[in-house]
Amino acid sequence: MRVTMSSFSTSLLAAGSLALTVPIAFLSGDSATVAADHLDPPTRTDPDLDTLPDFAADIADVYAWHTTSHVIIAVTFAGPQAGRAASYDRDVLYKVNISNAGARSDPEFVIRVRFGQNGTANGVQFENVPGAASAIVSGPVETNIASGGAMLRAGLFEDPFNFDLLGFRATRSTGTLQMRNDRDFFAGKDDTAIVIQMPRAALENGAHPLDIWATSARFGGNI
Amino acid sequence: MRGLRPGASALVIAMLLPLAGCGGDGGTLTPGPTPTPTPTSPAPTPTPTSFNVQPCLDQIVTPGNSVTALIIPDTVKLDLNLPPSFPNGRRLQDQVVDITLSYLLLDMRRHNLRTLADLPLNPGRNDATFLPDFPYLAPPLGKPPVASGSASSYDFRKDPDTAFISVDRMGMPAIATALIGTSAKIPYNDSNTGEDAAGRWTSEIKATLTGLHTILGDDLARLSLVSCATPA
Repeated sequence: MRVTMSSFSTSLLAAGSLALTVPIAFLSGDSATVAADHLDPPTRTDPDLDTLPDFAADIADVYAWHTTSHVIIAVTFAGPQAGRAASYDRDVLYKVNISNAGARSDPEFVIRVRFGQNGTANGVQFENVPGAASAIVSGPVETNIASGGAMLRAGLFEDPFNFDLLGFRATRSTGTLQMRNDRDFFAGKDDTAIVIQMPRAALENGAHPLDIWATSARFGGNI
Repeated sequence: MRGLRPGASALVIAMLLPLAGCGGDGGTLTPGPTPTPTPTSPAPTPTPTSFNVQPCLDQIVTPGNSVTALIIPDTVKLDLNLPPSFPNGRRLQDQVVDITLSYLLLDMRRHNLRTLADLPLNPGRNDATFLPDFPYLAPPLGKPPVASGSASSYDFRKDPDTAFISVDRMGMPAIATALIGTSAKIPYNDSNTGEDAAGRWTSEIKATLTGLHTILGDDLARLSLVSCATPA
């Protein structure tokens, strides 16, 4: 990691004794985004480091939670952006992997998500969604697609991630901590996202936890 | 710490900064009256320059999960028998940056997962309201062109997976971005969870985390936060 902390020793003090230091080191290497995965890997997706960044294939975040009846997974990508259209790239294959048995790194379910066009209309295809009525489900983007016990959608959404990226950048360039908890770089910005809601019964496997991750890949190789 | 108002972090920092420079102005000293001796505090223990982060990786953060089990393999772990709240799953509203910093840096016997999130260090909430029902994410804030129309069929690719070349992967927040060094980012993203589990990236993660503690160890000690790392 390309990090220096020689002058980075300022601290945040709150309510007496509790204080903390913001680790500039979390600006890992050349990546300017922390914790989430926007613009990472930077030499493929960050326009500051790649003249042809793969915007569409840049996964931002993976969210996964459950209710009493469903498991919901949301994968955001192609962001953060302000005022730009969603990215429905036919040449990118997204996979949402779920393990619910055996080795936690070995998926029992691989959901494939693809985009396609018909004239100016954009469509999305979901393959192998647990709890769906059929192996392949497709429909228009920006529309809730119901299939069996599953509900699916792809579209443009507000970026759920929040973080003071500007404070981190200023801190990195000046060595003086300038983080603020009232400044959110991702405010007012959007991502494209896929949201997959599945019946809990289609995934639940006793006490075995779920492991969930996403990948992206481009047809023919990196741009 | 829940009462810390937004923006207070910057204000408090501004107040603290001048203190860091006390005694270093280089001005001419004028002899004054002999000061009355005052009790002196013991000299602070020097901060070690090298750390063992294994205790950090071994500490338990959720039932049955050490930090190592949480971050390797690089997946979101979701136990359906426990309430969903990061790091058990990841909800839209979870403060993953502050919570991640807590379990990577702090002794969980002395602090908790929300020690930093309760300040909060970063903005504590999203700028838009999430939907209570599907699709849960908030509508876009910008005014981009809306995807037009629907059709009965689309030209989806039918090529096999082998025709597609890896670009990115994402599971647990902060692993690929914060614990994988720049030179390893491409091979890490081209790797997979099986290689994670087999230990391919464990030394990289451990070395990077050691670097974090080496950088921050003195800060944590000075600020009365107990680090999970021990002197090497």
